Amino acid sequence: MALVAALAASHAPNILLEPGAEWEDFMKLHYRMAPHGASSKPSLEAQGKLRHDAEKAFAVLRADLAASNPDVLIVVANDQFVNFSFNNIPTFFVSLADEVRGRFTRHKFYYRNHKELGRAVLKAGMEKGVDFSFGEHVELQHTQVVPLHFILPEPTIPILPIYVNTWVDPIPTPRRCYQVGELIREVAVASRERVAIVATGGLSHFPGSPRIGEIDTRFDHELLELLRAGKGRALADYSLEQVLQAGDSEFLNWMVVVGCVGEAKAAATFYIPDHVATGWGFVSWRL
Amino acid sequence: MSAYELNRLLFDLKMNDETCKAALTDFSRVIQHYDLTAEEKEALNGGDPRKLRQLGAHGMLALYIMRLHPDFRGNIYWEQK
Repeated sequence: MALVAALAASHAPNILLEPGAEWEDFMKLHYRMAPHGASSKPSLEAQGKLRHDAEKAFAVLRADLAASNPDVLIVVANDQFVNFSFNNIPTFFVSLADEVRGRFTRHKFYYRNHKELGRAVLKAGMEKGVDFSFGEHVELQHTQVVPLHFILPEPTIPILPIYVNTWVDPIPTPRRCYQVGELIREVAVASRERVAIVATGGLSHFPGSPRIGEIDTRFDHELLELLRAGKGRALADYSLEQVLQAGDSEFLNWMVVVGCVGEAKAAATFYIPDHVATGWGFVSWRL
Repeated sequence: MSAYELNRLLFDLKMNDETCKAALTDFSRVIQHYDLTAEEKEALNGGDPRKLRQLGAHGMLALYIMRLHPDFRGNIYWEQK
């Protein structure tokens, strides 16, 4: 029928941590790895403001998603060594599970998995030169459930998890991810259902890297400006090195959605750097 | 040389509760189940993620050696994936 909503949102775990004891305990590990960041760690008041601002951004995305009245939500995210490890790292993976579950601290998540749409994506890919991997069981992780907690808190519609390898070299180029998005758009348009899509991750951050704690806010602003101007196609010309240098490897998840929306202008964008780990970004395109 | 076995152990520390529990009790015994070099074993016992990364562990897996650190065993970080 149509692609009815397109969103992108950070999945940083500290978005979903309660300000105060939870935040401090969780971030203790981050500060151990990035001692320079500990000097700028947010006060309790600042943690509360970050959470409040993120909730405001997510409220806009949730309202836009609900207004689009979707039948299914495709969730494009990266696996962080939960379902895949060095014995098998798929570049692009489609879930064909019946249902998917996950857990984040005290929060539990359950959704039906729209495997029919998954099969349609796989089939279209085979015909048009994108050979996705696939499987019948995945466990949800923070890369999916942090945004889902805010935009689809109740499992009122099924989801379709699609994974992009953004962490283990060699990773796909921005152009390849854009092409995958174009393919998914074709499948959505050919579908009898109303298809929504969300990409998760980013923006700039350097987990597991010697640069942990750095945030390239300039590059993040550049990305969001291009999305607001409807110039997402230009991002397909960015080199992988440009994206990685800025700590924006998870922007490759976003590039799939950018390929879906083409030259549509982002209607709402939010940028909230947490000052210690990640530049949180949130976008809705209102198709 | 491939760091496959090193990454495999770290993945198991993250995803396999039995491995993690056994490692908290007797790490040297768990290490025996992986084909590791002497340098890798020393780094694992040293418990420094940065050193593991230098030996080829993925940065996002190297962090999981901290599950065994006395200061971080009960950290809320391990209650999410």
